Amino acid sequence: MIEVSHLTKRYRDRVAVDDLSFSVQKGEVIGLLGPNGAGKSTTMRILTGFLPATSGTAKVAGFDVFEQPLEVKRRIGYLPETPPVYADMTPRAYLTFCAGLKHCPRRAVRGEIDRVAHLSRIEDVLDRISGNLSKGYLQRVGLAQALLGDPEVLVLDEPTVGLDPLQIREVRELVKGLASKHTIILSSHILPEVAMTCQKVLVLNGGKLVDFDTLDGLIAKHLPGRSVTLDDIAFLEEIYSKLVSPVAAGLAPSQPSAAVGGGR
Amino acid sequence: MRGILAIARKELNVYFTTPIAYVAFMVMALFAALFFTGSVDVYRNFVARMSAYEGQEILEHLNLTDVVVSRLFDSVGIFIVILSPFLSMRLVAEEKRGRTFELIMTSPVRPFEIVAGKYLAALGVLSVAIAIVAAFPVLLTLYARGMHGGSPVEWQTVGTGLLGLFLLGAMCMAVGLFVSSLTDSVIVAALISLIVLLGLWLVTIFTIGNQGPARDLAQGLSASEHLGAFLQGRIELKDIVYYLSFVALGLWLSDRAIEGQRWV
Repeated sequence: MIEVSHLTKRYRDRVAVDDLSFSVQKGEVIGLLGPNGAGKSTTMRILTGFLPATSGTAKVAGFDVFEQPLEVKRRIGYLPETPPVYADMTPRAYLTFCAGLKHCPRRAVRGEIDRVAHLSRIEDVLDRISGNLSKGYLQRVGLAQALLGDPEVLVLDEPTVGLDPLQIREVRELVKGLASKHTIILSSHILPEVAMTCQKVLVLNGGKLVDFDTLDGLIAKHLPGRSVTLDDIAFLEEIYSKLVSPVAAGLAPSQPSAAVGGGR
Repeated sequence: MRGILAIARKELNVYFTTPIAYVAFMVMALFAALFFTGSVDVYRNFVARMSAYEGQEILEHLNLTDVVVSRLFDSVGIFIVILSPFLSMRLVAEEKRGRTFELIMTSPVRPFEIVAGKYLAALGVLSVAIAIVAAFPVLLTLYARGMHGGSPVEWQTVGTGLLGLFLLGAMCMAVGLFVSSLTDSVIVAALISLIVLLGLWLVTIFTIGNQGPARDLAQGLSASEHLGAFLQGRIELKDIVYYLSFVALGLWLSDRAIEGQRWV
């Protein structure tokens, strides 16, 4: 589905992406992992046709991103690093605009907006002015925009930034739910984050590909003889979500300090 | 086509949910009203003086269209030049500043659709501002009568005058859109397009005291010189060509500037 070969991107004298090659099969969920400035966002911007590569090629669904950008853009839903939301518009007006940009059939627009609003849980804020929304909501409005039109490929640049742990879990569930039918690339600098959603992890450092393998493969390669399971990473969140879930808040309204203390 | 409509609708949405459009209309209405009452006063004084000297023959050749309406339109011209940079400044510059440019550039729309959508919306707002000015000749017909009981104003001349103003506005918007697509600062976009447009408007002062090619050049370049014939009720090909070539050049350069983002 996605074919990247010898991709290089130079900004003047700084190399952001250095001879990167990888391929992603249809239906796979890939996590781009790396510290800040590793080239994750640049790679995604090249894949979505926002930036040209200095050399090398990238293909999405068989179309070269530079030669046939429109065909590629039609198939990609993209959530950039900063959610591209207009402060003066309501999410509903914004999503209507995006649906027009993506050539959604006119009659389907309303239903489509309801669908993505439900998926990203922004139904309550659809008619508020985006400028007044919190970072988490803005992030989810951006996510809803990426899901519009049900594109084959989703490119999500740090989709969980600014969300609280519960919302992170919801987004993770959402990504997992989309996984079978969609090809998804998401980036993060948090390993557990990637580990829990993605089948394969692509580790970037300084613009270079460090490793590209499944999580089990990575563990076997770098921590031989150690048995690590996802539960080891997940249990802290489990506790936290139990403490702050709406049910817990309803049962013990007089003891909020206990919940906060327990969360730490 | 769908992309053009979506972008135009979004731009109109922003113009009318923020105060920009209303302020533009108000400024235009206020100054047009000032100049209108001024012109009517001049006319009244002139008629009063001429009647005292029995200048009936001059009065017979005098009409409201030339003395009041054309004079008003001429003054409105400079306000279109001053106003349009404020309508065009944010068109592309704000997208770049707000990171929403990434959304538009990764959507399946061609750069030309982006340019056309934005241009049509901005020109639509400016056309409404120009239409406000058309209310003043209508006022004249309510309170004045023609020599032989006909209409006090020559509607053909009013029509060509409005056409001239519209073409001037179309030129200003195209120049402003191009300047806006070069920068990510709204203020810089406004100032530079104001300087360029005022320069083109005022270059006519070099026709005074100059002879030969210098005078011809100044006359040919001047936006105000080309408006003259329209205000007198004449539609001349060279004037139409002048304005339309600025529109074509401005739109083409904007298209190149936006397409050029993919090559940086």
